Amino acid sequence: MNQDDKYKEEHSIRLADRFLTRRQFLHRAGMGFGALSLAAMFGNELFAPAAQGMEAEASLLPKTPPFPAKAKRVVHIFAQGAPSHVDTWDPKPSLTKYDGQQIPGMDGVAMGSPFKFSPKGKSGIEVSEVFPQLGEMVDDLCVVRSMYTDIPAHEVATIMMNTGSRLVRPSVGSWVLYGLGSENQNMPGFISLRPGGAPPGGTANWQSAFLPGVYQGVSINTKVPTLNQLIENIRNPVTPLAEQRRQLDLVHKLNELHSQNLQKDAQLESRLEAFEMAFRMQTEATDAFDLSKEPPTIRDMYGRNTQGNQMLIARRLVERGVRFVQVWAGGWDHHQDLQERLPERAKDIDQPLAAFIKDLKQRNLFDETLIVWGGEFGRKPTRDRNGGDNPGRDHNSKAFTTVLAGGGVRGGMIYGKTDEFGAAAIEDKVHVHDLHATILALLGFDHKQLTYRYNGRDFRLTETAGEIMKPVIA
Amino acid sequence: MNKILLLSILIGASILERAPAADLTRDQLDFFENKIRPVLADNCYKCHSTLAEKVKGDLLLDSREGWLKGGESGQVIVPGDPEASLLIKAVRYTDPDLQMPKDKKLPDDEIADLVAWVKMGAPDPRSAIAAQKQWADDKTNHWAWQPVKRVPIPEVSNPDWCQTPVDNFILAKLDENGLKPNPPADKRTLIRRATFDLIGLPPTQQEVEDFVNDDSPGAFAKVVDRLLASPHYGERWGRHWLDVARYSDTKGQPRRNTEDNANPFAWTYRDYVIRSFNENKPYNIFILEQIAADRLTTSARNPTNLAALGFLTVGDHFMGMQNDILNDRIDVVTKGFLGLTVTCARCHDHKFDPIPQKDYYSLRGIFDSSVEPKVEPVIGKIPNTPEYFAYYRQREKLAQDEETIEASLPQLRKTNNVAGIKLAQKGLRETEHAISELELTNPAAPMRAMVLEDVVHGHDSPLFIRGEAGNLGEKVPRRFLQLLSGPVRPVFTNGSGRVELALAIANRKNPLTARVMINRIWQHHFGEGFVPTPDDFGMMSEPPSHPQLLDYLAMNFMTNGWNIKKIHRLIMLSSVYQESSLNNPRYEQTDPGNRLLWRANIRRLEFEPLRDSLLAIGGTLDTNLYGRPVDLRQKPDSTRRTIYDYVDRANISDVLINFDFATPDMVTGIRHVTTVPQQALFLMNSPLVINLARRLVAMPDFVDSADDAARLNFLYERIYQRPPDAEETALGLEFVNQTPLREEVPAANKVAANQLPSGNKPGQHGNGNRPGGNGNKKRAPLTSWEEYAQALLQANETSFVN
Repeated sequence: MNQDDKYKEEHSIRLADRFLTRRQFLHRAGMGFGALSLAAMFGNELFAPAAQGMEAEASLLPKTPPFPAKAKRVVHIFAQGAPSHVDTWDPKPSLTKYDGQQIPGMDGVAMGSPFKFSPKGKSGIEVSEVFPQLGEMVDDLCVVRSMYTDIPAHEVATIMMNTGSRLVRPSVGSWVLYGLGSENQNMPGFISLRPGGAPPGGTANWQSAFLPGVYQGVSINTKVPTLNQLIENIRNPVTPLAEQRRQLDLVHKLNELHSQNLQKDAQLESRLEAFEMAFRMQTEATDAFDLSKEPPTIRDMYGRNTQGNQMLIARRLVERGVRFVQVWAGGWDHHQDLQERLPERAKDIDQPLAAFIKDLKQRNLFDETLIVWGGEFGRKPTRDRNGGDNPGRDHNSKAFTTVLAGGGVRGGMIYGKTDEFGAAAIEDKVHVHDLHATILALLGFDHKQLTYRYNGRDFRLTETAGEIMKPVIA
Repeated sequence: MNKILLLSILIGASILERAPAADLTRDQLDFFENKIRPVLADNCYKCHSTLAEKVKGDLLLDSREGWLKGGESGQVIVPGDPEASLLIKAVRYTDPDLQMPKDKKLPDDEIADLVAWVKMGAPDPRSAIAAQKQWADDKTNHWAWQPVKRVPIPEVSNPDWCQTPVDNFILAKLDENGLKPNPPADKRTLIRRATFDLIGLPPTQQEVEDFVNDDSPGAFAKVVDRLLASPHYGERWGRHWLDVARYSDTKGQPRRNTEDNANPFAWTYRDYVIRSFNENKPYNIFILEQIAADRLTTSARNPTNLAALGFLTVGDHFMGMQNDILNDRIDVVTKGFLGLTVTCARCHDHKFDPIPQKDYYSLRGIFDSSVEPKVEPVIGKIPNTPEYFAYYRQREKLAQDEETIEASLPQLRKTNNVAGIKLAQKGLRETEHAISELELTNPAAPMRAMVLEDVVHGHDSPLFIRGEAGNLGEKVPRRFLQLLSGPVRPVFTNGSGRVELALAIANRKNPLTARVMINRIWQHHFGEGFVPTPDDFGMMSEPPSHPQLLDYLAMNFMTNGWNIKKIHRLIMLSSVYQESSLNNPRYEQTDPGNRLLWRANIRRLEFEPLRDSLLAIGGTLDTNLYGRPVDLRQKPDSTRRTIYDYVDRANISDVLINFDFATPDMVTGIRHVTTVPQQALFLMNSPLVINLARRLVAMPDFVDSADDAARLNFLYERIYQRPPDAEETALGLEFVNQTPLREEVPAANKVAANQLPSGNKPGQHGNGNRPGGNGNKKRAPLTSWEEYAQALLQANETSFVN
């Protein structure tokens, strides 16, 4: 144990002793947020039951969902740009048949998929050759082929997929964190990983909107060169941890003197927890992102590239109890050169995602982690008229595929169906709201009951819609 | 009739498939509204509606849900099949046992209409929720829709406590609940509270001393008047208003290919707001200018007032989606001035408040008749300088570039030259960006205002059925909200109608305008308003904690010419404002949220006053007012006040997000107060705080202090504007006399660190060390004194006002 860890441990206990009597604890718990990381300090089991049922205003304390949960957490890999479903997960032989010809009753010229589909696994689900490794795992996957959304414009639909709305609304991760809290009080509970830049819609995709800021996603640019840049001010440039511990103890004592004569204010008390969590984050949060701590075999298994790194970070976050991880893996907007460019994007994620699933399985995390892969809409069965000689496909909000795995989802299953050409979902249609309702159901919530009152109205993730895809729940 | 039959054949199939769907075409809606609704209302509602005295046969015909559910006899309408529909059978009077309406058979043409309607699939726009609304009752019952009343000042148990009538209202409520107000706060606490409240900065040591030593009865009034006269008052209260105005220096989502993201002149609106507060502009004028400055004669005399229209134009551009832009303007006007969520009525009648969907489109017509000119008008002086001419030439060149590219586009489009179009669009984007940059950064660029102008012929907006732009209903005249209009509800004809709208809002007869603003002011003095939801006074809001006081202040506000500073003065000179924040466990049981104000609330500083006060404590705060924004992410060492930070709507800086900044995506009358570890990290690790600690310990007054106790005293005065007590002194001395843990620090530094003085006189140290300070060695570890100073900065007292 190094000096820093030693100090952290010793002082945490002492600090808690000083601040916590049973009566004081109950007092704080009644205040809501105050109970936050005191529970964490002593292990959640001890105090979580006492905190249950209390209306915690803005707490990351783990909460039990109202219904039995299949999944404890979510990893959403966002294939931004709108992947072509008919070239990846939704084979359409009729398109090949009509290739280059007009499809009856449709504008434009059919474009047969340039990629070969073949049956995989015991389930025999057909998967495109662009996903060789994921194809081998199809018995673990639930392929939802009947997705649809409202508007085929990237920004709008991306925000729609992440918030269920075109307006300013909390993201799925914020709702989940609001409902479930986090299992790790040393880290933010909702983390969004992006390989540089900002996705269309920017922070709207991980915003908490009118939910308290503690439920906001923390966006991490995984392309920054150093660990210290991942979270602003995560490292002190001059003060060693042990000395900072001494300083922080002084701060707590100063606060105690200051508040002796004041009201016992929930805000003041929660500051203690916030400083302690900040202190712990300095080591633990950066540790979570430090891939040099992974053995070379694991790094190779994920692939030493952008998405390999992101998925490996995602696994490290999942292991640490982070509730919701969003992984941006975009670049799927193939209006032209589809034959050349789509396989590159597929290759980016094929190995990392397959490795992620295998890795979660070998750590017994797969069954309790819901994995979602998909984009914001799909693409047309016809050639994009702007595609020139090397065509691609135009936007299509009426059909796309989303893949689910783990977390109580039935594997080796196809859900829903598009028409003969993949132009529109026709059977067991799944709107974005329906996907959200299903995610919340897997986590143990009735999407109609998980509400937050804001400006006099009870808001929910699924607005006034949402049907659960019951058959996909194992 | 033939037309309708044809229609029913064309769409019949799809309607049959999914009868419950509410998708109505224009023709269907017209048919329903003209032919069906009147028949149902006149003949059936008496017994078959939610308003019926007694509902007969358990059947409701006043909503689609009603007849879908059916009655005691089961399904009454089979969409598409009149012959199978009981309702048709009943009106035809063919079955002696089933004849409706009971008293008299309907005329044949009405029966034929009903048959045709059912055949069409019975398209019905009425939803159950709307049917249940009893708006007439709401309008007379809900407190917020009532006129502001002149209320008598209540009698109280202890008239001596009451310094102003405000106190009578507060004490009367406390009396009712058997509570007594806290004793007054000590003078140091009070001046700190007042100073942060009014100017967002801590008082100086001198100001504190002057107040503490002023035993005259008007001592605090002097402080309040001095602060109200300070130009920093506008920076503090202007920022509160910018939260409401969803202020941003960028568009967030600009129009594709034609707009740059930056709003290079948003800051002129920000400065207008600051200036208006500083000048104590009457609030009704403030409203008029922000809605219709372009139509006021005063703007001709003072064109800088045109910047007021930024209130409408600094919103998001939603990728050019005009309907969303108009929605945003309706939202900011109605929530901001009226505390009404009118935009809930964009797609349907408001679910809770008496705001029909038509009202939304009345306002939509007004804003749809108001446009942003391509080039913003100049509102500042044009300097006759070489710098200006250099700017002008650059600007002209860019404008020409833009024109050239735009001129090339039609030909490119004609020939379907995709690559060419893309290149031209790229060129346009780059030129637009270059123009923004030039306007934003060139000091010679004249000030411009983000105005709106009326179109030549103001026009009414059609109703969008279910809010869908492709589904137009009848046109709705431009006029004010039904809820807030008297029996006469004039149609707006003056241009777009913005002037008339502004006058209807800035109106003493309007029951909401003054109350909403009084509530905002009260909230920023006490932490919570009478109504806890400042942007929503509707049916779903909590009733006010002190309705009488709210009305007293609102009435006072209006009769005193909407004078905001007078209201501050009235509130702050009251005993209730000057209470201490001491706890009282018994009272906490009775009134845990302190809604009755038996004590002062402890309030956390927002990020702006926190950062500003850190700069002030270090003596580096730039006190210049107004001007172009500075991006604190790019210039972290800037010492400008935080209100001048560049607010980037789609990309708010982490530090602002972590400190609950009002995101400019919506009207934010009240900020969240969350406590997250990133806030602690800012105080623990940011260079701003670390450097401030070094600076304090390097100050001559610290260095020249006689002993450690004097040094402690200096830091306490500097940071908390008070001396330490004995316990705090002991704690501080103990800390600075311990050896810092330096296992990672090279031995040479360790020696220096250990040399740190405890009571030594300056000048006794070698290698240029000041007492306690490591001077400018930025990477050097902090000395004990520096660490101590930083601990004081991290402690709650820095971040809270009590």
